[in-house]
Amino acid sequence: MQRTGFLFLAPYAVSFAIFVILPIVVSFVLSFMRFDLTAQSSAGFVGFDNYREALQDNYFWSAVKATLLFALMIVPGLLVIGLSMALGMNAMARGQAAVRALVFLPGMLNIAVTGILWQWFFNGEFGLFNFALKHFGGQGQPWLSDKAFAMPSIVLMSVWWTVGGTAIILLTALQQIPGMYFEAAALDGASTTRMFRYITLPLLKPVMSFVVVTTSIAGFQMFGQAFMLTRGGPELSTRGVAQYIYETAFNSYRMGYGAAMSWLLFALISVFGIFQIRMMRRPA
Amino acid sequence: MNRSVWKTINGIFMRCVAALMILPLFLMLLTSMKPEAEVLNPENVVPRVWTLSNYQQILGWAEEAPFGRWFSNSVFISSAVTLGVIVFSAMGAFAIKRLRVPGGRQFLGLIIGSMMVPGQLFLVPLYLILSKLHWLDTPAALIVPATAGGFGIYMLSQFMEDMPPAIEEAALIDGCSPAQMFLHQTLPLCAPAISTLAVFTFIGSWNDFMGPLVFMDSVRNYTLPVGIALYQTSYYTEYGLTLATSVLAVTPLLVIFALFQRQIVSSMAASGLKD
Repeated sequence: MQRTGFLFLAPYAVSFAIFVILPIVVSFVLSFMRFDLTAQSSAGFVGFDNYREALQDNYFWSAVKATLLFALMIVPGLLVIGLSMALGMNAMARGQAAVRALVFLPGMLNIAVTGILWQWFFNGEFGLFNFALKHFGGQGQPWLSDKAFAMPSIVLMSVWWTVGGTAIILLTALQQIPGMYFEAAALDGASTTRMFRYITLPLLKPVMSFVVVTTSIAGFQMFGQAFMLTRGGPELSTRGVAQYIYETAFNSYRMGYGAAMSWLLFALISVFGIFQIRMMRRPA
Repeated sequence: MNRSVWKTINGIFMRCVAALMILPLFLMLLTSMKPEAEVLNPENVVPRVWTLSNYQQILGWAEEAPFGRWFSNSVFISSAVTLGVIVFSAMGAFAIKRLRVPGGRQFLGLIIGSMMVPGQLFLVPLYLILSKLHWLDTPAALIVPATAGGFGIYMLSQFMEDMPPAIEEAALIDGCSPAQMFLHQTLPLCAPAISTLAVFTFIGSWNDFMGPLVFMDSVRNYTLPVGIALYQTSYYTEYGLTLATSVLAVTPLLVIFALFQRQIVSSMAASGLKD
């Protein structure tokens, strides 16, 4: 029986060992090596040089800055808009299922399609947004070519792309709150805002912290959105850490340095994850 | 009365929100059917001249943007990944939860732990491993590593854990072998979980962007998302064409969504409840 058990587990376990465990080990070892696919110089161990280089690399820090900026905008954006949508859907008497499905639909698209679509919206000369702005007597905006606009534009697209999922998760949590809480509060003459503040929000807190943690983990790994819309520009202001790792490893072929930066990204995500979970655990 | 008025307004408003969310998709569809001159001057949302020339042009490309080839690559790779993930994950979850192999719990813990590691960390080492295997630029580079994903085995383990042990005991008394038990009992009972897993795996694989971008080299081996993304760089102002490629690329997903909408939305809804 046990031998059969191992036979059943074997295919997955072998695949897991080769494509999950081995890469993690290889990546860790590589991060202490010089391993350039182009250079004639032989590969070798360099100790903490890659990590030291990253910490002194202005491009790395500007990538960290872009990543943090993106996460700082997208997480509250998804939470506030997602919660508003969830509250709106929750109050619907009819048609909730259809609205729920439609709101989620953009999340089904892949980033290439999403990016092509929004690039057309954002284009300075032929774009739909500027066409609409000019049509109504306004002025066209440099949505993707100006440093001040580029990141908010990327965030706007990302909210459209993913807010449906957040809204559905929050809606489900809203529907789990027993109706008698509100009935009791209504008997005591509580206003709607007070009920929201003292019943809905506290009871939603675990789910909201789930949303904050998962969306910020995803936000820290932002790659496709900027890759499609701006390629990281203007002046690298929207190039996140993930894109810098990609370019270091696969355009400059510096595998060791890329591996080291991916461990730094992992560390950044872990620190923020732990910090957020701590914050959320504190009583309201 | 006040309250019901408010409810009506809310209902109308939320329908508008839903319409606004899918408006970009309609604009994409309508614009892809406009001649290029109309695309650049979008005074009318609905095309004045309807044309399929964008689509004809795309499907006619052979060399620089083999759209049909990308499409079939995507269909093949996503189907193979889905099949592989289901077979490996179901067998693994069966071994851990139903046959209770020693160390199974710890192994599951390790799998869940590995899911915390961001995807970027795997790019560089996977590239080197795949190059050693001579799998770069072949479908295997996108199919085989995907079977190691943790989500499927985790989800099916959760599902199998909730099945009563009496089921097995009865099967054993009847003289079933573990393989018979797996094929005739566990798999049918897990059908709902497996179909959800299949839908999610297929969508995830279809939409994967970074994998094909890094591991595929020749244009004819690209998957659809990467193909149209890189193609878009060279033709980026010909929106009629790029939007038509997008319409073709999302159509299979919209069909899947229409068929499995209930399942997809309710799994999404459940993902926050675990916490």
